[in-house]
Amino acid sequence: MPIKTNVLQSILYKIKHMAKSSMAKYVLRRLLYLIPIFFGILIIVFVSTRMAGDPVKLMTGLNPRITAEARERLTQYYGLDQPLYYQFLKFVWEMLHGNLGNSYAIRGGTAVTTLVGDYAWETFKLQLTALFFSLLIAIPIGILSARKQYSKLDVTVTTTSLIGTCIPIFYMGIVAILIFSYSLGWFPYGAAHSLDPSRYPFGSYLLDELWHLFLPATVLTFAELAPVVLLVRSSMLEVLRQDYILAARASGLSERTVIYKHALRNALIPVVTYVGLYFGGMLAGAPITEKVFNWPGVGRLYVEAISKLDFPVITGITVFVTLMVLIANLVTDIAYAYIDPRIRIE
Amino acid sequence: MSAEIILEVKNLVKHYPLTSRGIFLKKEVGVVHAVDNVSFSVRKGETFGLVGESGCGKTSTARAILYLDPPTSGEIYFEGQEIGRIFKSKNHQDLLKLRRKMQYVFQNPYASLDPRMTVADIIMEPFVIHKHVPKEKWHNRLYELLELVGLEEYHAERYPHEFSGGQRQRICIARALAVEPKLLIADEPVASLDVSVRAQILNLLQELQQKFGITYLYISHDLSTVRHICHRVAVMYLGKFVEIAETSELFNSPLHPYTQALLSAIPVPDPENKRSRIVLPGEVPSPINPPKGCRFHPRCIYAKKHNCVENVPELVDVGKGHWVACNKVKR
Repeated sequence: MPIKTNVLQSILYKIKHMAKSSMAKYVLRRLLYLIPIFFGILIIVFVSTRMAGDPVKLMTGLNPRITAEARERLTQYYGLDQPLYYQFLKFVWEMLHGNLGNSYAIRGGTAVTTLVGDYAWETFKLQLTALFFSLLIAIPIGILSARKQYSKLDVTVTTTSLIGTCIPIFYMGIVAILIFSYSLGWFPYGAAHSLDPSRYPFGSYLLDELWHLFLPATVLTFAELAPVVLLVRSSMLEVLRQDYILAARASGLSERTVIYKHALRNALIPVVTYVGLYFGGMLAGAPITEKVFNWPGVGRLYVEAISKLDFPVITGITVFVTLMVLIANLVTDIAYAYIDPRIRIE
Repeated sequence: MSAEIILEVKNLVKHYPLTSRGIFLKKEVGVVHAVDNVSFSVRKGETFGLVGESGCGKTSTARAILYLDPPTSGEIYFEGQEIGRIFKSKNHQDLLKLRRKMQYVFQNPYASLDPRMTVADIIMEPFVIHKHVPKEKWHNRLYELLELVGLEEYHAERYPHEFSGGQRQRICIARALAVEPKLLIADEPVASLDVSVRAQILNLLQELQQKFGITYLYISHDLSTVRHICHRVAVMYLGKFVEIAETSELFNSPLHPYTQALLSAIPVPDPENKRSRIVLPGEVPSPINPPKGCRFHPRCIYAKKHNCVENVPELVDVGKGHWVACNKVKR
């Protein structure tokens, strides 16, 4: 079915094509652009968090016996008595040495890099699982729906997708917990691991992980499914109308090859863009989902850090998410140019 | 040109269901009579022109012949074989054989090339499908084809978007030629091209015909290109053939009032010449509810005299291979 002998050749052509469009220069230029954007975002977040309140007051507010002197000492200890520009430069200097400081309140005094690393892994795990399964399910459904436009199947799919897009994820999540955890007792109420190793199913850590992952991942998959189905469907409809699809049929290709080789390859171009942009955003975690399922991810950490005015954690997560979004966008752009030769990288 | 008939179409009908979307599901509310009971035959090695206004069913006819849009009814014989049976039997080998013999060049070269394939991939794909060229000769054949249509070897590794419209149409022609077809259906191949490029493509088509003896079914609304390239011409109006004749015969002595009106609309490059243009009243009626009797009667000045509202004219031979469907013409 696919042109095996041509694969190597076409890859060679593609590489030549990309070299012609001076891809290396483009990537370099884009990377240079990232620097001012990155620092711009950093400054905004750095300044705005420090306008939000005084963390020392928040920490000591409930303690009636705290002295003004102790407060002073704490402020000095955190370096909050220094002028803002000095704090910022110090933060940048430390950041360039791979140090994002220590948290004030969350897991008191832990290095922010460790903290973000731990939580980011959980976010990745949840989000990638959901993304993988939503694409796996959405693409074939979208294709089928487009091929049988206006059929009963298509109407069912589009209607369901529309409903799926409209139901907020916290509602879906709570209902899922109510049914599968509360009533049926099949899955845990939340969290990513059992605290007590004796509760691991069959004593296996991996099974415990999957057991905890199942419910939030399923809810997220359904939430992400709907827009991808609609996107694949509309994009496929657009492509199927093109003459080159007729030309492929006229040259004697089987319907399957026409759909999966010619049509799908072209229909997936907008889907790649969507997934790329989504991918960047999802690394910030889904605060709502993570809150509902008590998932120890970046999103929940962010919310917690803000509510406790934990400056180093807030800025640390910002650094991490900003970098991820910027890199994801860059990768999307490059992938886009690779899969669609009409895009010229200037 | 021989008298041997390569393609014969008998009573071809193509109807499209007209649907309206209900609240949930579509329902059929009518039928578009795109092609209604059309019969004609094409001789081996000739260029058979199909002309008519847009929407008269030219493209529907062509697509139905290739089963890209299966016809509603009617029979199509290619080299004596009824091809509908082959398409319905789903015998993959027979089907491939048939696909090799008939090819299609589309109207819009901007939409008919897969943007993600290089020219080499596009032209060599038929080799992969039909396996009629040994693998080690693929590239030789590719370069031969490129040269044949007037492109250079280095064009092979480029993508379609890097070419102009005329060059793209050349790629389309090369792709069609890759299977060494006997019949090439050219659906307005020059309509979307610049006038300066049109002549080049038409000359290319003629050259290829002389070299390989390919039969063309040439579809166009542009009468001057039809006159230039076609041996015989059929005029279509609202899904029906109204006149078929040799090109010179048709252009010199058109019999059907619609053909006469069409021909009178060709611009003559002579400012002194005062043309007598026949301007038809009204618009082309809708193919959803085509007029009863002769389909042309609402716009025809002879309609009252011959009671065309009721009498449906049949295509009749008036001699010299000139067929016309008009009540006015005496048998």
